[in-house]
Amino acid sequence: MSTQDKVKINKLPTGVSGLDEIVGGGLPEFSFNIIAGAPGSGKTTLAHQFVFANATPERPALYFTVLGESAIKMLRYQQQYTFFDPAKLPDSIRFINLSQVVLEKDLGAVLEEITKEVEKANPAVVVVDSFRTMVRKPESEMDLQSFIQRLALFLASWQATTFLIGEYAEEELRDNPIFTVADGLFWLRQTAERNSIVRKLQIIKLRGQASVPGLHTFRITEAGIQAFSRTFGLTARVRNPIGQRRLSFGIPELDKMLDGGVREGDSVLVAGSSGTGKSVLATQFIAEGIRKGEPGIVAVFEERPQAYAERATSLGLDLETPQKDGKLSILYLRPLDLSVDETMQSILDAVQKIGAKRLVIDSLAGFEMALSPGFRADFRESLYRMIFALTGIGVTILSTVEVDESFTEFPFSTYSISFLCDDIIRLRYVSIDGQLRKIMVVIKMRGGNHAKDIREYEITSEGVAILGKRLINYQGLITGIPVHSDRSAQEEEPSHDLETKKQT
Amino acid sequence: MTTLPETRDLAQRLLTYEANAGNTSEPVESTTLRVYEKLRQSLGELAGAAGFQSLASRALTLARSEVPSLSAVQVAADGNLQGMSTIGLPTDIEKDRVDEGGVILISRLLGLLLIFLGEALTMNLVRDVWPDAASDDGNSQDGRKT
Repeated sequence: MSTQDKVKINKLPTGVSGLDEIVGGGLPEFSFNIIAGAPGSGKTTLAHQFVFANATPERPALYFTVLGESAIKMLRYQQQYTFFDPAKLPDSIRFINLSQVVLEKDLGAVLEEITKEVEKANPAVVVVDSFRTMVRKPESEMDLQSFIQRLALFLASWQATTFLIGEYAEEELRDNPIFTVADGLFWLRQTAERNSIVRKLQIIKLRGQASVPGLHTFRITEAGIQAFSRTFGLTARVRNPIGQRRLSFGIPELDKMLDGGVREGDSVLVAGSSGTGKSVLATQFIAEGIRKGEPGIVAVFEERPQAYAERATSLGLDLETPQKDGKLSILYLRPLDLSVDETMQSILDAVQKIGAKRLVIDSLAGFEMALSPGFRADFRESLYRMIFALTGIGVTILSTVEVDESFTEFPFSTYSISFLCDDIIRLRYVSIDGQLRKIMVVIKMRGGNHAKDIREYEITSEGVAILGKRLINYQGLITGIPVHSDRSAQEEEPSHDLETKKQT
Repeated sequence: MTTLPETRDLAQRLLTYEANAGNTSEPVESTTLRVYEKLRQSLGELAGAAGFQSLASRALTLARSEVPSLSAVQVAADGNLQGMSTIGLPTDIEKDRVDEGGVILISRLLGLLLIFLGEALTMNLVRDVWPDAASDDGNSQDGRKT
């Protein structure tokens, strides 16, 4: 069968930020869906958002309430959300209470009532909230199954996209015949992790199209549910080809060490202990980008944007003007109880808003600490997804990470995330001639012929300044406690930096 | 706590509309019943019979504090309003075919909707039942406000 012979399934907007991406572009029209989860997990709000996004006077939504929350109370609370448009009631959205029918009659009568209303209104959307409360006796589960099968058949024929809302516990997911009837099964979870609430949703099944698998975090705000796709909404974006352009740090000697600069679209890790100048280097990187017309984002977690900009001013770098001009955004993210995906979404939104080419995350340790404890377990995985997504669209990322200084090891990161990075620049203290000095080395540069030299540097009033040539008259520099060798002065040995290589 | 002038004005308008739309020879209390029944039908769909019954009972209790004669009126379990015909009517408002007890009862019911649902939803609901009477535009017929 050719593509043009296949039936086209229209995709309806879910009305939930981020959810369209998760379900594969929108909810299949005429699908029969179940929203399941524990009380308070956001089931009704999700259904309301869909209803408000799709109901029109010509093809209204019928919202059947059964037992449980009083419809008046439900409307009282739901209208607090910004998506709730009172003008849509009652022409586009009608709430119909079936509790009397449920209490006094059987499921057959309920189906009859729904049928009558659907035939009268010709709705595009039908919601039954909550269908599970229609069954009050355990032996009636069979009746419920039969009811749902008949309802699904009827509503599909009447071209209605349907949501049944039900309270279900996690363990009820398995072997439940009711779920086999559904085209779509949305499972909402809410758990307490220490002092924070962690909300996640999963599309357990969705017929007809590919949804993004896995658990997606979501939040309920005044705008309703906001979902955060594990792919950050970038699945549809075409990955940029590997860039050839080199991005400068604005530090000529460092650019030379990096074979001309950081390759566009790379993820760079600057690792070092406290005070080694990681943030200074990051600031110079972002400032140089702005100077060259490349908008940038700085995500800070350990100091406020004002303090960050003032520190840049002390280095002679103006971050105030580009902020006013919309070329730079300094994000101060201290969410504490947010998910890593939600935090990353804030960064992504900022990147897309100003068309950022460079992104600084300062620092990964601060980032992790700002997250809810329950989400820290997801940190590395989410970071991987974000870096993959952003570098894929050509954004160059520089992350700083603090490492414990050891005189026996030379770690790059305490997070074991170096595999996420294309390039690693390591800064460290070293004891030389009775002074605590600083050295820098490019550890890794994917696809680049970086210098192998260990260079001494200082932090001056103008930022990081690399001193002299490579240090050749010491052994064991990376241990931090080098031994002075008998070799002659550094000038006597040809440098192994790239410029020298090219000349020789 | 008394009824708000705006709510009272809306109730008065609905009752006047129904009074003029109905048969002039019918008893005045039937106007209140007609308004009440229309609200019952509309609210019953939304809140269910039990939901409406509890709202109406609360409205009646509040109304009794302003119009003691309403103590003879009851809201039945199914939401029916009973005993309206036993209320005596002041002669000075009889000519308007709207009785004070009815005005207060309906305005209390509308007042509860305003409290629980807010103005936008309440007015949408009223407009849905009385498309002509709900708006105070002053160019309607049938004895509505001009």
